[in-house]
Amino acid sequence: MSEQFSRRDFLKLAGVGAATTAILTGCGPASRYVKREPYMQMPEYNYNGQSTYYATTCRECAAGCGLIVRTMQGRALKTEGNANNPLNLGKTCARGQATLHGLYNPDRVTDPVKRTRGSASTTAVDWDAATQVVADALKNNKPEEIAFLMGMAPDHLFDLVTDLANTTGINAPVRFGALGMFESRATLSKAAENLFGEARMPFFDVGGAEVVLSFGANFLETWISPVSYTRGFVGLREAKTKLRGKFIQLEARMSSTAGKADEWLPIRPGTEALVALAIGRLASELRGGPMPRAFSSVDPLDAASKSGIKLEMLEHIAELFSGSHVALAIPGGSALGQSNGLTVAEAVLALNAVADNFGKPGGVYFSPLAPNQTAYQSPASAKEMQDFIQKMADGKFKVLFVHGVNPIFELPASLDFKGALKGVEQVISFATFPDETALESDYVFPDHHGLESWGYQRVITGSNQSVLSGSQPVVSPFYNTRATVDVLVTAAQLAGGAFATALPFKDEVEFLQSKVAPLMSEADGFFSAADLNTFMASFQQYGGWWKLSDGRGVPGTADVLNRNMDGAEAEFAGEGEFFLVPFVSPTLAEAGANKPWLQELPDPTTTVMWNTWVEMNPETAHELGLEDDDVVRITSEAGVLEVPVYRYPAIRPDTIAIPYGQGHTAYGRYAEKRGVNPTDLLVQHFNEAGDLAFAGVKVKIEKTRQEAASFPP
Amino acid sequence: MIRPEEIKLSSEENGKWGMVIDQDICTGCQACVAACAMENNISFVGEEDSGYGRAMHWIRIERFWEGEYPEVKMTPRQPMLCQQCGHATCEPVCPAFATVHSQAEQLNLQVYNRCVGTRYCANNCPYQVRAFNWRDYQRPEPLSNQLNPDVTVRRMGVMEKCTFCIQRIHKAQDQAKAEGREVQDGEFTTACAQACPASAIVFGRVDNPESLVSQLAHKGHGVKHLEELGTLPNVTYFKGG
Repeated sequence: MSEQFSRRDFLKLAGVGAATTAILTGCGPASRYVKREPYMQMPEYNYNGQSTYYATTCRECAAGCGLIVRTMQGRALKTEGNANNPLNLGKTCARGQATLHGLYNPDRVTDPVKRTRGSASTTAVDWDAATQVVADALKNNKPEEIAFLMGMAPDHLFDLVTDLANTTGINAPVRFGALGMFESRATLSKAAENLFGEARMPFFDVGGAEVVLSFGANFLETWISPVSYTRGFVGLREAKTKLRGKFIQLEARMSSTAGKADEWLPIRPGTEALVALAIGRLASELRGGPMPRAFSSVDPLDAASKSGIKLEMLEHIAELFSGSHVALAIPGGSALGQSNGLTVAEAVLALNAVADNFGKPGGVYFSPLAPNQTAYQSPASAKEMQDFIQKMADGKFKVLFVHGVNPIFELPASLDFKGALKGVEQVISFATFPDETALESDYVFPDHHGLESWGYQRVITGSNQSVLSGSQPVVSPFYNTRATVDVLVTAAQLAGGAFATALPFKDEVEFLQSKVAPLMSEADGFFSAADLNTFMASFQQYGGWWKLSDGRGVPGTADVLNRNMDGAEAEFAGEGEFFLVPFVSPTLAEAGANKPWLQELPDPTTTVMWNTWVEMNPETAHELGLEDDDVVRITSEAGVLEVPVYRYPAIRPDTIAIPYGQGHTAYGRYAEKRGVNPTDLLVQHFNEAGDLAFAGVKVKIEKTRQEAASFPP
Repeated sequence: MIRPEEIKLSSEENGKWGMVIDQDICTGCQACVAACAMENNISFVGEEDSGYGRAMHWIRIERFWEGEYPEVKMTPRQPMLCQQCGHATCEPVCPAFATVHSQAEQLNLQVYNRCVGTRYCANNCPYQVRAFNWRDYQRPEPLSNQLNPDVTVRRMGVMEKCTFCIQRIHKAQDQAKAEGREVQDGEFTTACAQACPASAIVFGRVDNPESLVSQLAHKGHGVKHLEELGTLPNVTYFKGG
């Protein structure tokens, strides 16, 4: 050895080596200057075999449930609910559990790429070039030619683009999600605006009620905030302070939610408004006093004959409803997805006025406004998306940025988002997974997975408190992905001018801090701090910030019943003999199909896995000569689908139902070429609030000679 | 060190760990099934093997139909998992002593490296809760990053079933022992109970009369499935209604 190399030097170097290795293999948010805060004050990475737990926010839907993720040596092992978060109080749904199958999905987009639209092959680009592409797209187009289409999560990115739009004059970002479409969120907020004067998201206090009357709201499956509403349902059944609550669900097909009801009433699709008004009339009669104007024109006998629900049953419900001190009526799901969905929503909300439950336990509230939230912005309705798509097709947009949504799969094919993309010169997708829209884009600049991301999500409903759920990376990015906020911030600097002034941030964390900092001066937070670093540390450690007080609002009720309400039946598109009810798969929802364990979860009502089926009453199937697994051809005005039959005992004989969630043509090996997408059958048929009348379509059924592959053969 | 009062408690009751499942509030959402799969490294088997009934759910939600349209009703959802019988029918038929009764935890163990795959135990289980590895099911990379290091990954030819998350039991016991105390009620729970949005599953020490699960189990209206077979199950169900 020519040089002196003492044992001590060797150990020093070895120590340095070990430390470097620890950083590289550890899950530090590479190149960030902020330290992440473990949920508990555990030594980070110091002990082999010890887990570290991080609080973050679930991105599988937009509800904003808090998660605690168990990590070990830089890998995420298990998600649990964050017991502190007032929305989900430590609980998760199946999709929240399976989020790790998204993080470690074998089919993620691993690098930024350029592609010829529609082609599977891509050319890799580096992130400098990618950022330059975004900068050029911002700089070289007129502001009105730049459009952003975003998903319902995450909110911090939406806020960033909103700020960008406000300063630079580019189009305000449009948000869309299939869950929002099937929940008819625009209808719900429009109805609240018409009745109560404020377009706020109503919160239904199921837990405090004694009688719950739900018109199609599938609140135990995917509806708006299912984990929170499940807790409400438990309260309905088990609260110690009152009798065991009764639950009645009216819908044409028994959903998993209706399966928990005491009474399921197979109402004829399109008569929901009529039935709600009839129940209102009967209940008002029982309560005595003058008949409210809203119910004065409806004839219960007529409602009974049109809806297929016996008059005695309507009277029985009215008796339950008026006899209870705390009765609650919930509009949702397929009841609002009718051509008269807004009337249905108003009629059902008006029932709550009969029960006089506004702002009372067991009644209707306004959800608290989340921190940073000025007003509830419902996501774009299908009608607004139609306008957006028209602008695309007309060449009004030169560049389209897509993040957090897969419109080719999530919007009905009849709206032809895919075709309209031809009118857009440049499409840039920030997709984490190779979905259908990413396949039709010029560039894919992949964002991190939600568990690798910073951010926050506003809790729109489900908690009594005002909640901002916070996200932090629980593992370092697995692939060569980059946070979209970082890409936009850097690109805005490169583009210069108004863009640079709009986003004067060093990176995503600085942006996040700028949004979170105002909360420090807010009263009533469950933690507070004098300086920003301490505040952010707590924000990360606890997984968000929320107020301690009850922030729910009381809907203004003055005029609810003093208005004319029209019980006319809904109009249906198409000539077929069957009503079509598309429903969101409770386990897959809109983006779960690429997660193998979600595919292998049995559907809660049929127990089917890995496929799509059409539910049909056994009597109907018998008349048509159909058995389980026979393939039928279903035709609407918009399209044709071939799908195997499942004889479902709890559906009207004149109705068929198909779950939404499968039928991908891209989106990874577990999703592709599996099942069908029922939105292919949906025509451009809207309700008064602009939401899609997805349950307002009639279809024809033909038997084919095929039989679905069944096992054993 | 085992304390005298602990011995007394154990000898009074049939088993230490138990579960209560309230079917009235179970919504059948499948969160427990997903949570169990994620915690216990359960393989997914794919469409074809699922069709053959080889999906390896350690817990499943049963639902049945009553009546005919329009008076049709879905029966209360019934989460079914290994009942950790005190007198288990799976145990005496195993030629390899792979399915044995643990005296310490009063659970039915499945010793993977003893199992030779005769499937006698699954045949003999009246609850049909055992799952057999018909193949070496693939986890394409990087899915294996998610595997729980506390739980053995099983291979082809091995029987598996619910363990009451024994890895969590042991971890809590080790922790308590290191701190010189007893495991507290509610200090930890199984993956299914932790996820359940309805809190329909409650897990704990049934030999501690103060624990929540004991108090629920002794409420009176609980039933044990197929009790008439003398299996002494450790899971109590509240029928929904």
